[in-house]
Amino acid sequence: MKIYIKPFLFFALTLLIISCEDVIDVDVPTAAPRLVVEASLDWEKGTIGNNQIIKLSTSTPYFDTTINNSVIGASVRVTNLDTNAEYIFVDQNNGTYTISNFAPIVNNSYTLEVIYNGETYTANETLKSVPEITRVEQSLEGGFDEELLDVSIFWDDPEDEENYYFVKFIEEGDLFTTLEDESDEFTNGNEMDEFFEKDGEDDDADHLQEFVPGDVVDISLYGISERYYNYIQLLIEQYDSNGDPFSATPAEIRGNCINISNTENYAFGYFRLSEYDTVNHTFQ
Amino acid sequence: MRHFFLGICLLFSAFLFAQNTYSIRGTIKDLKNGETLLGATAYLKGTTNGAVTNEYGFFSITAPKGQYTLVISYMGYEDLVKEITLNTDQTLNFEIKESSTQLNEIVIKAEESERVSIKKPQMSVSKLNAATIKQIPAVLGEVDVIKSIQMLPGVTNSGEGTGGFHVRGGAVDQNLVLLDEAIIYNTSHFFGFFSVFNSDAIKNIKLYKGDIPAKFGGRVSSVLDVRQKDGNSKDFALTGGLGLISSRLAAEGPLSDRGSFLVAGRASYAHLFMPALEDIKDDKISFYDLNLKTNYEINKNNRVYLSGYFGRDIFDLSKIVKNKYGNTSGNLRWNHVFNDKLFSNVSLIYSKYDYQVILDFIQLDWIADIKNYNLKYDFGYYVNEKLKLDFGFSGILYNLNPGEVKPTTESSPINYLKLEQKRAFESGLYISAEHKLTNKLTAQYGLRYSRFSRLGGQTLTNYVNNKPVIYNSALGIYEEGEASGETFYKKSESIKTFDNFEPRLGMSYQLNESSSVKASYTKSSQYLHLLSNTTAVTPLDVWAPSGTYIKPQLSNQYAIGYYKNFKDNVYSLELETYYKTTKNRIDYVDGSNLIGTNTIETEILNGKSRAYGLEVLVRKNKGKFTGWLAYTISKSEQKTLGGKAGGPGINKGDWYNTAYDRTHDFSITGIYKLNNKWSFSSNLVFQTGRPVTYPNGQYEYEGLSIASYSGRNQDRLPAYHRLDISAIYSPNKRPDKRWKGEWVFGLYNAYNRKNAASISFGQNENTGRNEATRTAVFGIIPSITYNFKF
Repeated sequence: MKIYIKPFLFFALTLLIISCEDVIDVDVPTAAPRLVVEASLDWEKGTIGNNQIIKLSTSTPYFDTTINNSVIGASVRVTNLDTNAEYIFVDQNNGTYTISNFAPIVNNSYTLEVIYNGETYTANETLKSVPEITRVEQSLEGGFDEELLDVSIFWDDPEDEENYYFVKFIEEGDLFTTLEDESDEFTNGNEMDEFFEKDGEDDDADHLQEFVPGDVVDISLYGISERYYNYIQLLIEQYDSNGDPFSATPAEIRGNCINISNTENYAFGYFRLSEYDTVNHTFQ
Repeated sequence: MRHFFLGICLLFSAFLFAQNTYSIRGTIKDLKNGETLLGATAYLKGTTNGAVTNEYGFFSITAPKGQYTLVISYMGYEDLVKEITLNTDQTLNFEIKESSTQLNEIVIKAEESERVSIKKPQMSVSKLNAATIKQIPAVLGEVDVIKSIQMLPGVTNSGEGTGGFHVRGGAVDQNLVLLDEAIIYNTSHFFGFFSVFNSDAIKNIKLYKGDIPAKFGGRVSSVLDVRQKDGNSKDFALTGGLGLISSRLAAEGPLSDRGSFLVAGRASYAHLFMPALEDIKDDKISFYDLNLKTNYEINKNNRVYLSGYFGRDIFDLSKIVKNKYGNTSGNLRWNHVFNDKLFSNVSLIYSKYDYQVILDFIQLDWIADIKNYNLKYDFGYYVNEKLKLDFGFSGILYNLNPGEVKPTTESSPINYLKLEQKRAFESGLYISAEHKLTNKLTAQYGLRYSRFSRLGGQTLTNYVNNKPVIYNSALGIYEEGEASGETFYKKSESIKTFDNFEPRLGMSYQLNESSSVKASYTKSSQYLHLLSNTTAVTPLDVWAPSGTYIKPQLSNQYAIGYYKNFKDNVYSLELETYYKTTKNRIDYVDGSNLIGTNTIETEILNGKSRAYGLEVLVRKNKGKFTGWLAYTISKSEQKTLGGKAGGPGINKGDWYNTAYDRTHDFSITGIYKLNNKWSFSSNLVFQTGRPVTYPNGQYEYEGLSIASYSGRNQDRLPAYHRLDISAIYSPNKRPDKRWKGEWVFGLYNAYNRKNAASISFGQNENTGRNEATRTAVFGIIPSITYNFKF
């Protein structure tokens, strides 16, 4: 039983009003590198989902800017535990491992096995379905500011089950994706929505400028498992708010990849299987 | 239990049959305004017989028949001397005069007369009165009780712009904050920028950092006992102030010739924080509060008091959120003097803290509150010149409403939800003695028996194997336990009951006329817990009562101290060292959500904490220049093992710093009175930065740079330091003029140090590079306030 109010959101806003911020140099500790598994097997609604990519890399010191940390030479295999079908991913020698005959089946359980540096990492996950995005609307009224354009997607939450969602949003030309998590805890069986708005406060950054007619955005809605929801919610919260005194003290985020050879040397990242629906919207 | 008290009573009753002695009782008041003085001394010259007035200005002295010189004294007041013949019990009321200020000096009236406090067994207590607090420079010119006590050793905050305070390495929720005996759950306005205590309505504050008297219970770290003024019983008077942020007005006066009243209000100007920002010009951030007190003397032996407080903070960031919160309290008291030796007070107290959050953009309205009703009956029994007894009982009924969620519109996607109401009853029974064992050795010993029942009227979740939290050893994380069903408890049922004996002991040994050593031991228990997984306390944090899954916190504190007065009490030195352990201190597991959950037990582990330190306080009490220097070196840590849930626990089961551990804490406060028109004050503060958790690496996920972390609270913010200066100008000193005004000019953070309230790590939105951003709340802040008295 949870509702997630982000207290830091408005307390931070209050603090900002009278406080000042500047970028400073800070010495931070450096941990030994770990394997990072970004195994997101995403299946777009209405496609066959044969082509999949898994990315492997290692973590780096926090302020490092040269990211030459692709993992090459690992072996990557996914197994459908319900059908026993095996999928061997092919090393592309650039940190990605690909396959072109993957068969996604809703509610089937899959296991991932990565062998790297003589150690074996495994993860289990279930493929989750997603309702379709029923409509996309742009407006002035929604969102935080009634003078700014915003865009919303809507979908119908199925009533007979607990559902968890993950929403990805990006404007063409943006550097970063915006991530959001949703659950139907308080909205079970209702029409749900998620809106995006840019406040345009930072004049220097083009991609933060408020939406204007002609802007193109991509919005994707993913069905996810409860465990992935817990994972991505924490990841998003820490990404958005780290260090704010009204946010939770940050902590290591543990995904579902276990090192069965050496438990302590666990991997970052997650093995996720999701159906998703996507829309492309051009502001009018 | 019953036998114990019976035994104690029998023991003490032996003293009752003393030979041929008589008593003097009465009250001590200020001559000018009729305020009762607490902590004033009455003693018989040339003897060791004396007494200190209690919270209501009452004292009682017992001595053998004879001729005596009775001296009434109080720091900052002129001694009053009276020859008496003690051959019968008598009632004598005194009014004493404040020392004249012609000497161009200020006296810190913080201490009761030193000749008593050297002897008194009570240690680890800090007292400040409103006059002293008003001398300390304050941010934005708003005099602040909570900030003032942070200038004392052993007391720190959690950073600028955060509420609450920490005592001897304890958490914010471990402080019992009482305003005229009513529990105050949130001590700050504006997230700690201001305190809820209006200095115009406050008579006196006392902070017990340890050696907590047996009459207090329910919190393990400290007691902040704030008493409101009774109101001027001689004359009608208006006091007020105009500041940049807020204004105050207090009216007080006599009620016939038997009572008095005080009404004080304070309000902020809503828009001042945000003059420049066009985007938020429609937003409101404001607070106000109202204090009320009135008392009436029915006859010589009976007096009633009524006091109340109502405060509110309002945040209306129109586009995002509306937030209101505040404390409400009321107390009806009846003082009754049974006879020359037995004083009593019964109090009926109500207090409430509530908050409301409206998030328009998701059409959600959130309300939560905590209420309590408290009945207390306290007795003071002045047995003889060697023994004073305090005893009494209390019962507190708690009603906690952890949250109700409502949709704000018909079309809102939010469904209605009400979290389970929680009810509990806490009772206490205590007896304590202040006992002069020899001329040099005085003891204060007592016992408190506390009992806490979590009451029914709610449903509790049961868990498989009775484990609300389980350790997932494969993933190395703590997860919610698997629910195995629910149990409904009827209102008449008690879900779980705890009880504890809490012995309290203090000893004072006087080395010579000007120095003493003291030692104390305090055991205390705490049944209510404030759960917070944020660094700073937020107004939304949830109070949770002990019960099936949360055990009461039990604390032991040991302290020893050395006290010395120098140069005819002009200087004083206080040295104290303490060691404190607390059992059942809960902490949240990594990645927990504490707000809006019925099953908070699934997010926490049971741990323990320890704190130790050395405190030094040097004061200069008299002269043109007064002030104090405070230094604390300390450590505050927590260890939280997996316990029943399994696994290593938080931070691999190692000791880790609490978020309020400060190795060094140093401050100097100085007040200089130049002449009748000008006085200056300044304080300098230096503190070790607070523990935080910094990233130790990064990795790419979903195209973002995600930080990785090592253990909890392993790093520290940069050291915190600042200098404040203020000047008070009183243009009119002619005594015949009724209107008295003064200007207070202040400069907070005079050298504009950018103290990090927090450092956040994230990706620069333009370059994608990771960077560290420091948030500094207050730069240099000038202020000007006009105070008046009429």
